[in-house]
Amino acid sequence: MIIGAGLAGMRAAIEAARNGLDTALVTKVYPVRSHSVAAQGGMNAALKETDSWEAHAFDTVKGSDWLGDQDAIEVMCSEGPGDILELEGMGAIFNRDSRGHIAQRPFGGAGYPRTCYLADRTGHALLHVMYEQVLKHGVFIYDEWHVTRLVIEGGKVSGVIAMELDTGKLHRLRSKSVIMATGGYGRVYRTTTNALSSTGDGLGLALSAGLPLMDMEFVQFHPTVLKRTGILMTEGARGEGGFLLNSLGERFMEKYAPKVKELASRDVVSRAEQTEIEEGRGVEGCVLLDLRHLGADTIKSKLSQIRELAMNFAGVDPIEAPVPVKPGAHYSMGGIPADIDCQTEIPGLFAAGECACVSVHGANRLGGNSLLEAVVFGRRAGKRASEYADSTELVAFPDSALRDAANEVAEILRRDEGERVYALRDEMAGVMEEHCGIFRNRERLGKGLEQIREIKERHRRAALADRGDRFNAELLHIIELGSMLDASEAILVSALHREESRGSHFRTDFPKRDDSKWLKHTLVRKRGNDFTVGYKDVKITRFKPEERKY
Amino acid sequence: MEIKFSIRRHDPMDGENPGPYYREYIVDAEEGMTVLEALLKISEEEDPTLAFRRSCRSAICGSCAMTVNGFARLTCSLQVIPEYQKMGAMRIEPLSNHRTIKDLVVDMAPFWEKMEKVAPFLMPAGGSEGNPVSIEDQAGIDESQRCIMCGCCNAECNSLEIDERFIAPAASAKAWRFVGDVREGHRGKRLERLSEEHGIWDCVRCIHCTQYCPKDVKPLKQIESLRSAAMKEGVLDNPGARHVEAMADSVERFGRLDEAAMTFRTLGFLRSVGMIPLGLRLEKHGKMPHPYIFPQIMEIDEVRAVYDEIEKKYGLKPKKEG
Ligand SMILES: Cc1cc2nc3c(=O)[nH]c(=O)nc-3n(C[C@H](O)[C@H](O)[C@H](O)COP(=O)(O)OP(=O)(O)OC[C@H]3O[C@@H](n4cnc5c(N)ncnc54)[C@H](O)[C@@H]3O)c2cc1C
Ligand code: SF4
Ligand code: SF4
Ligand code: FES
Repeated sequence: MIIGAGLAGMRAAIEAARNGLDTALVTKVYPVRSHSVAAQGGMNAALKETDSWEAHAFDTVKGSDWLGDQDAIEVMCSEGPGDILELEGMGAIFNRDSRGHIAQRPFGGAGYPRTCYLADRTGHALLHVMYEQVLKHGVFIYDEWHVTRLVIEGGKVSGVIAMELDTGKLHRLRSKSVIMATGGYGRVYRTTTNALSSTGDGLGLALSAGLPLMDMEFVQFHPTVLKRTGILMTEGARGEGGFLLNSLGERFMEKYAPKVKELASRDVVSRAEQTEIEEGRGVEGCVLLDLRHLGADTIKSKLSQIRELAMNFAGVDPIEAPVPVKPGAHYSMGGIPADIDCQTEIPGLFAAGECACVSVHGANRLGGNSLLEAVVFGRRAGKRASEYADSTELVAFPDSALRDAANEVAEILRRDEGERVYALRDEMAGVMEEHCGIFRNRERLGKGLEQIREIKERHRRAALADRGDRFNAELLHIIELGSMLDASEAILVSALHREESRGSHFRTDFPKRDDSKWLKHTLVRKRGNDFTVGYKDVKITRFKPEERKY
Repeated sequence: MEIKFSIRRHDPMDGENPGPYYREYIVDAEEGMTVLEALLKISEEEDPTLAFRRSCRSAICGSCAMTVNGFARLTCSLQVIPEYQKMGAMRIEPLSNHRTIKDLVVDMAPFWEKMEKVAPFLMPAGGSEGNPVSIEDQAGIDESQRCIMCGCCNAECNSLEIDERFIAPAASAKAWRFVGDVREGHRGKRLERLSEEHGIWDCVRCIHCTQYCPKDVKPLKQIESLRSAAMKEGVLDNPGARHVEAMADSVERFGRLDEAAMTFRTLGFLRSVGMIPLGLRLEKHGKMPHPYIFPQIMEIDEVRAVYDEIEKKYGLKPKKEG
């Protein structure tokens, strides 16, 4: 059983089905609605003779500010090219260059143009191909089923409990192995590129099941998102040659990353923008993404979706005017710790995709690496989970689990009076944006943590206006908010403890990277209502830490 | 700007007050606000019981299609103020041609079933592995690849409205995605199945699907590509293909359509007899075509010259079997 039908979940399902297993996807939105569909820019792999997977691995390690586990990075970069070819075999069409080879565009932080793409709709193309293959392999889909609990019995996974949206009924679903592929938690921030459904459910489920979360302080802020809606303008726009300008019309990235300028890694560009904006060189809280010099043809053929989005959601045609953009929460480097076969601490429970932390992204992810991660590790999770299922018996499913889950829902529905869920969510998102954004310090983080804990208290007493059974979005959201608050607390606690600056985590009170103390992963666990912090070594195989400069 | 939203509420499972009825909400719409954002505002600040689907809010996941002021629209890419100014109203209803589950949520199961019917996955011909799809080859199927499965086209489809088993535009466009792929190995089989009853020939070419598609997939154009591919492939034993053949023959012979004879050739003798009551009604209203009045137009040679030219250039005339 696979929770989540994004790119990672569906890739896992296909692998399990190929291994002859009776496989099902459980997903709260229909598979093609999963947020992988929104990925624009592309997917990395070393395909050319003049490139090498080792070079890709080095760029990834450097991008991660040496916090990525190099064994996992080696797996991803060396197996990636095979996955690209396999995707083509499944039906995907990557754009070609004039000689008929798969075209590759430059992306931030990469020393070689190795991002494969389909215009600016790569995620859409790949997610639909994956869905096609899921149908082809006869995988069963429980769509619009919202998982509310992982059931663990005797230390092993025994299944999940999920609510069917159409009826509001809770069901138990038993499985020998369970793969979590629930995606990101972008919605804990106010300005985010993530879908309304990216609420970090898997992280909440994992914490409640006793699993730790790893490296949660590392939140990627994408440098180019639209102001009001957070909608993404792909990095491909800069890859194709777009400029970033401040209010004086300067290409300010020349100051911050003289060599690669706009194509420095995302954390670097986001910090530069934030600095420009805070020092008064912004344009109404934004900087400008200028594509005009690329010409109408390039924009129309390679960035057509970007153009449409800019016109529809910001009222600007990039052929004629620069687009105001700012940094926004985009990607969760942290997540459920898993080994290179996606196995978590709990036997039978696996994690892949954005909800997992294998960790290939360390302190900062390179653009184009997470579609790759989703496909490579989705496949590996599917394979390992199949082997596990073949070698084990179904674990008993305790009767109490369903009863407890039902009682929990009944308790929420019984609350007569209380605050509204959505108001609480807005408050949480505001706190995270204010206190745990691009620039952090002890005081801001401490205050943020206090406020999140207080919101958590209020969340336990929040009440619903909708008491209905069917398509009760408010009920689902109170459950989602529980996960988002847990994720928020995990981010704040981890960020408060890490007294250095590395990758996306920038502490103004500790502005330097400190390998002697902090070359290690953060692990947080939930014990009752408290979070405890521990650490784990980083796996270093071939690239010794050095200074990270672009 | 304060705008009145009138929203269709309906909960068929509600014993007391199932509806449907319309409820009004006043939304203070700011510049740039989308219809989906307005619905979120209503449900989050005023009435959480309102049910609707949403996810990406950026016109790519296909969740949020609804009927707005009478037409199927993707609500997350439709701005409130211009729509209101144009239509003078803001009436939100579920997609047509689909059963309502609750409020603005419709049952999409038939939509997915139609997708599955066209075997929506590549079945590559042997030896096509590593066979790149060139830029030109891709251009022919690129429109069909843009589909986000939102259902707007099916909601506005006239043929689907009268025949729920019709394959409908979304799945047809998807079918062309594979039929038109140079790597596909089962083109003929696919075209045969698509040409069966309730298939591509049942489209009445009202062009609504193309008109209402938010992603410019142009389903009707893909249906036409499928039809001509089917005829080229020699899949002719069905009313649709026979109709086209009869039409082409009639124009070649008479320079005009002989509609009565076409019905006969399209449907065959027995089923044409079934058309007699319709014929009588047409006759009564003076609408029955009279082929015997002008059997042939004067400039028939010019028409035939056009046919010859087409035949030479494209070889488009369907091959007859045997
Ligand atoms: C706008 C945008 C653009 C991006 N562009 C790129 C790019 O160009 N290149 C790149 O490499 N990466 C990109 N990324 C990142 C990348 O798209 C994601 O990291 C990746 O797609 C995540 O895939 P996933 O399968 O892990 O999760 P998702 O695709 O998010 O899927 C999550 C799944 O989990 C299900 N789910 C969640 N909670 C529950 C629950 N409680 N019960 C049941 N089901 C549940 C959902 O229904 C969904 O099916 C982009 C991200 C965004 C937001
Ligand atoms: S053109 Fe054909 S498929 Fe399209 S809406 Fe009209 S009848 Fe339906
Ligand atoms: S063809 Fe267009 S309208 Fe129809 S489902 Fe696809 S995107 Fe939607
Ligand atoms: S919410 Fe995804 S298409 Fe509108």
